[in-house]
Amino acid sequence: MSAPILATKLYIPPPRPKIVPRPRLVERLNEELAAGCKLTLISASAGFGKTTLVSEWIANCGRQVAWLSLDERDCDSLRFLSYLVAALQTINPGIGRGLLAVLQSSEPPGAEAVLTNLLNEITTLPDNPSAGSGQGFILVLDDYHLVDSKPVDQAIAFLLEHQPPQMHLVIATREDPSLPLPRLRARGQCTELRAADLRFSPAEVAEFLNRVMRLNLSDGDVAALESRTEGWIAGLQMAALSMQGHPDASSFIQSFTGSHRFVLDYLLEEVLQRQPIAVQAFLLRTSILERLCSPLCEAVLKAPVNSGQETLEYIERANLFIIPLDNERRWYRYHHLFADLLRKRLGQSLAPEEITKLQIDASEWYENNGLILDAFRHAAAANDIERAVRLMESKKMPIHLRGAAMAILDWLESLPKTLLDARPALWWKQAAILLMIGQPMDVEEKLQAIETALASATLPNAELDDTNRRDLIGKIAAARANVAQVQGQTEIILVQARRALEYLHPNDLNNRSMAIRSLGFAYFSRGNITDASRAYTEALSLGQDSEDIINILLASIRLGQIQETVNQYTLASENYRRVLLRIDDYSPPNAPLAYLGLARIYYERNDINAAEQYGEQSLQLARQYDQVHDRLIQSELFLARLRLVRKDAVGAAHILSQAEQTARQKFTVDLPDVVAAQVLFHLHEGNTDAAFQLIQQYDLPVMLARVLIAQGDPSAALAVLEPQRQEIEAKGLVNRLLRVMVLQSIALYAHGEKEKALELLGEVLARTEPEGFIRLFVDEGPRMAELLSAAGAQGIRPGYVNKLLAAFAAEPKEQRPTASVPSSSMLVEPLTARELEVLRLIAAGLSNQEICVRLFLALDTVKGHNRRIFEKLQVQRRTEAIARARELGLL
Amino acid sequence: MVYQIRLKGHLDGQWTDWFDGLTITLEEDGNTLLSGPVVDQAALHGLLKKVRDLGMPLVSVVQVQIDETNPYCSKKEKK
Repeated sequence: MSAPILATKLYIPPPRPKIVPRPRLVERLNEELAAGCKLTLISASAGFGKTTLVSEWIANCGRQVAWLSLDERDCDSLRFLSYLVAALQTINPGIGRGLLAVLQSSEPPGAEAVLTNLLNEITTLPDNPSAGSGQGFILVLDDYHLVDSKPVDQAIAFLLEHQPPQMHLVIATREDPSLPLPRLRARGQCTELRAADLRFSPAEVAEFLNRVMRLNLSDGDVAALESRTEGWIAGLQMAALSMQGHPDASSFIQSFTGSHRFVLDYLLEEVLQRQPIAVQAFLLRTSILERLCSPLCEAVLKAPVNSGQETLEYIERANLFIIPLDNERRWYRYHHLFADLLRKRLGQSLAPEEITKLQIDASEWYENNGLILDAFRHAAAANDIERAVRLMESKKMPIHLRGAAMAILDWLESLPKTLLDARPALWWKQAAILLMIGQPMDVEEKLQAIETALASATLPNAELDDTNRRDLIGKIAAARANVAQVQGQTEIILVQARRALEYLHPNDLNNRSMAIRSLGFAYFSRGNITDASRAYTEALSLGQDSEDIINILLASIRLGQIQETVNQYTLASENYRRVLLRIDDYSPPNAPLAYLGLARIYYERNDINAAEQYGEQSLQLARQYDQVHDRLIQSELFLARLRLVRKDAVGAAHILSQAEQTARQKFTVDLPDVVAAQVLFHLHEGNTDAAFQLIQQYDLPVMLARVLIAQGDPSAALAVLEPQRQEIEAKGLVNRLLRVMVLQSIALYAHGEKEKALELLGEVLARTEPEGFIRLFVDEGPRMAELLSAAGAQGIRPGYVNKLLAAFAAEPKEQRPTASVPSSSMLVEPLTARELEVLRLIAAGLSNQEICVRLFLALDTVKGHNRRIFEKLQVQRRTEAIARARELGLL
Repeated sequence: MVYQIRLKGHLDGQWTDWFDGLTITLEEDGNTLLSGPVVDQAALHGLLKKVRDLGMPLVSVVQVQIDETNPYCSKKEKK
């Protein structure tokens, strides 16, 4: 897994050795936890010992704990969700498997889709209080204030609203989060510890100063310190550090308590002065680092090898606000408050150039150690444009990961426009990243900025020789072709992609590949299979040359689709399989298409179980990428078709109405496909009139022919089919052609032209036998069975024909009394989708309570559903409802 | 827009940079007054966040109207 998940963010800080135990607070937290409250909120400003308290509590609370230390970058809700999944995986590695890759991909799913998935998986975790450690778990979100993001707040609110009983959430923060706290308080679902609870009581102050820090202060001195710091723990700790080894503690306390100066400001100086000069320098200079490890500190300080570790361990022993981030004492960080103070002090004691130098040294260390993204961040902080650009363009930069892409985009957007204008390649980088992360609509603005910059005369010549200039023009066109693809504008795609290929540098394989894929898309949309295939093959080989995995996957998926179209099922299926092998790591947004392609191939070969499995996987993925249409609706239509094969008309109708709703609301492009599926449904149900009525409103000639045949008008069907056949044949769309020929042969047979019908069927069989087609024939029903029997009698391809006839015989039988009346119509009023869902869970033996959990509903809502189900089924109790539903074919 | 932010405890003048160039005045009762122009609401919230991160108790935040002749003298405090 290539995700940049920092294990240090998930590290559970162990209880610190030298602390004041706080049984009063821990007891309170345990009581509320046992009472089943959902959220523990620990809200107080910096330095009140929030993290310390939580780590003391959870170490002995008897539950499993997932910990996530947040930082500013978690404002990106996708990064936040990735870490949330990773944190939960520390409890159970099975949770959210597959979600991480999807979240890292360039076109990630919506937060609610991800959370719903997660919650469903959490619900299946053991929830058995008698099983000791199996009694649920605690999720801690530390430093929640660092995430200043509405989407993240909404995600947490959603999580809390649907939180299963196994889970308890702890939030530690410096400011109250934007969550529906009043509601949680009113329902008694939230415990809070605030500054007033956290500050040290006078007894705790005494214990801390005299027992833990061994200062042996008088009661008067303790009281003076308590009143000066108001029990603020960070202040007390700094005061204690200042007094350790101080010759005259009392006079220190006198001047400290007599001063109005801000506690920490006053004390930092004292604390620093108590340290050896080398340690002072170490603290100040390493304060620019977000995380510290010995070699990194040595690089920044230009200090001898191994001296760093010694100092870090000294600082830890001296309690100087340093927090280990792992068990090996390898990575540390400073307490945020302390780091802020140190950085401020650093700004006063070093010149800006010297601080820049520290940043560069840090950047170099990270680069030499292969941590390119961190190297980039420090280069950006040093405002070293050359260095940052070089790192940004480095092959080692994990640009395909969203976190890296966003960091670079943020930096580029922070640069002054004049600088970008002088280096139009930086404008291009922004456009390229926007394309990659799925924000095509923001791309044009950047492209125009490049054009403006190119047109201006002030551009330095060194930066842009003629070759680079031409290449940029090519890139602009390639991007425009790609954006046009999203909107389906084939004319623009063709113009821009060709322009791109003319201008792009021969070595710019990435963008050449993107332009060629756009061409392929345009050809494919226009039914030009030969050219589309050539284009995607070329894009694939470019991707292979440049070892660009995303390009390889995208081109392969499209090639698979083309191979399906020209009847090369074996090749297509190998292709899709190769794609699926890589998908876990990279998950391009088109991944569902590979699953769906495989599903179609299994279906055609009549392996319905495998088809269903891949179809469901496709739908699941497509739902996660909810902003993109075709994958979702096509997956749904496919599954509706499977329901029909399984004679589950209710299930099929249910999916179709869902698909229709989605198509009408969002994706009218897909509406004809939905209608075609509905027509097929009516035909299947023997409802020829409904099918005929529906088809009138749309231009779906092949489906129309099928309806006409069903109506007993084969000559009208033939009249519709012949021009279709010519058109499709000319385009080389073999797959569709075979379907037309099958219908023609049925129509001819019905029309009494048996010889011609069998001749045509023989032609089809010759072409489909090598790929093992079955459903193409079986789906046409009894008319085709009859025709095949006639073919068998004439000795046409006997082995294959017998196999097909056997498949006909093996089809599931009708389960309903009459084929033409859908069984649910026997109800006074049909059940809604939700009621059906509840009914199925009742039949599965779930209690009302369990149904609540499963469907995220309140108990009253579930009871309401039950009442209406019983009413509609006209029964009194659950067992009767199940029996009645079975009778009606609802289950 | 000029703001006055009052904090509990004294900060020395070296903190000016930290607070984006606001004037730091120490008051006799032990409070610190940060005052000066703040570009917009976002900048104001940024400042308050810095105060929060220092753990300094916040006493008050007021927007003041500027006396044209002396931008740092308040004429009348707005609500």
